[in-house]
Amino acid sequence: MRTFFSLLKTELKLNIRNMNMVIFAVIMPVVVLVILGFIYRTKPALPGAEYTFLEQSMSAVCTISICAGGLMGLPLVVAGYRERKILKRFRVTPVSPVMLLGVEFTIYVLYAAVSMALVFLMAAVFWGVRIPGSPAAFLGSWLLTLVSTLSIGMMVGGIAKNEKMASVIACLLYFPMLIFSGATLPFEVMPKMMQKIVALFPLTQGIQLMKAAFLGIHMESVRVPAAVMGIVTILCAGAAVKFFKWE
Amino acid sequence: MSETIKRNHKKIKEAVLTKDLTKSYQGRTVLKGLNLSVKAGTVFGLLGANGAGKSTTIECILGTKQADGGTALVLGRDAKKERRTVFQKVGVQFQEGDYQPEIRVSELCGETACLYERPADWRKLCERFGIGDKIKNTVKSLSGGERQRLFIVLALIPNPELVFLDELTTGLDARARRTVWKILEDLKGEGLTIFLTSHFMDEVEALCDEICILRKGEAVFYGTVEQAKAQSGCERLEDAYLKFADEEVVA
Repeated sequence: MRTFFSLLKTELKLNIRNMNMVIFAVIMPVVVLVILGFIYRTKPALPGAEYTFLEQSMSAVCTISICAGGLMGLPLVVAGYRERKILKRFRVTPVSPVMLLGVEFTIYVLYAAVSMALVFLMAAVFWGVRIPGSPAAFLGSWLLTLVSTLSIGMMVGGIAKNEKMASVIACLLYFPMLIFSGATLPFEVMPKMMQKIVALFPLTQGIQLMKAAFLGIHMESVRVPAAVMGIVTILCAGAAVKFFKWE
Repeated sequence: MSETIKRNHKKIKEAVLTKDLTKSYQGRTVLKGLNLSVKAGTVFGLLGANGAGKSTTIECILGTKQADGGTALVLGRDAKKERRTVFQKVGVQFQEGDYQPEIRVSELCGETACLYERPADWRKLCERFGIGDKIKNTVKSLSGGERQRLFIVLALIPNPELVFLDELTTGLDARARRTVWKILEDLKGEGLTIFLTSHFMDEVEALCDEICILRKGEAVFYGTVEQAKAQSGCERLEDAYLKFADEEVVA
């Protein structure tokens, strides 16, 4: 545990110094929230709806940092460390791959948590956003979305041959998911046809699950998205550890 | 010798032992049945021209490269199979050491120290190697010589029984080299086993108890510095080395 926290402290400092994630995982969600806040203020989501449009969008805004960390930050850090032979240096020390991946994983969990806290605080203070549904269920679905997305990133970082390859894969995953899964562009405003297509993204499932929990909407098939994300997590995290390459 | 035994609780006589180590890349043989035996508490020098197989030998011993044949033991263990046990007691300085882009000296040392059960005091090591006033600097802002010394510090942070130093004083000025030699001599006195590669024969002569000269992956000489001179009929080690390594034709 001592090793874990020492590594976490240093790696977190380096990560913050790099600023990329501060911008994409912390500042960007706030910007999106502020834009949505100014446009929709406290308007209801639909005429006669019991919750506001902003409340309906909270889940999506929370996943922006998950996307940035899991599909950009994490794979690039792991692949970059491999390419720069930093992992080779770690290889001739007693540290385990699980420890290294765990430390990087935790960093992005922290970013997502900080981002969510900030977004919630601002939304509550400026636009009176509250959680009509179940906070516990929301937190649970948030965690599931977070962990499954980070696992995808861990696997990409673990398997990509070099940083460039990881960067290409990251972009292919990051931008479509960020834009079309409902993280930035609200799912509700998309045409029906498009909704059907983007429903295939795992992140879309996560957002829908979070949204239902947040708003207290009854969801018929909670098990399907939960199972999909659970399986993705196990497969990807397993692959990341099993096929971990130092060089 | 008693120092050595104190340090090595298991009383392993050979800190490094290889038998018939072979390795080839894409059909090109890089190591041809290399047999090395490094006694605990001694300094061993692996010499040879660039491309003779020095780094490959170290990597096969450490398990970062898979040998095609033969065995290699580090402190009596297979470094690939028992990686986490072996590297508690073994420090390594690679030729192309790299580090996180914005990392500071103190952070790199601290991050390394936290991986070991009983790490050395890295601040003292930095002082000893003359970079004590640089610990707040970023690693990339150090001069080549300072960075080289930092990487020796990193290899010594585990409080190792055995240390691998690949081209340890490349990039150091004359005074810094002498300082490094002195420290390594002292550490040897405390029972540390040192496995080094070097292109500087004065360094090899000053430090090494035994040397092995590689030519195209084959050991062409194995013994003490004095034996190398005697066998080759040369007065200077550099001449002897060139004779063995077959470099004079090229040079």
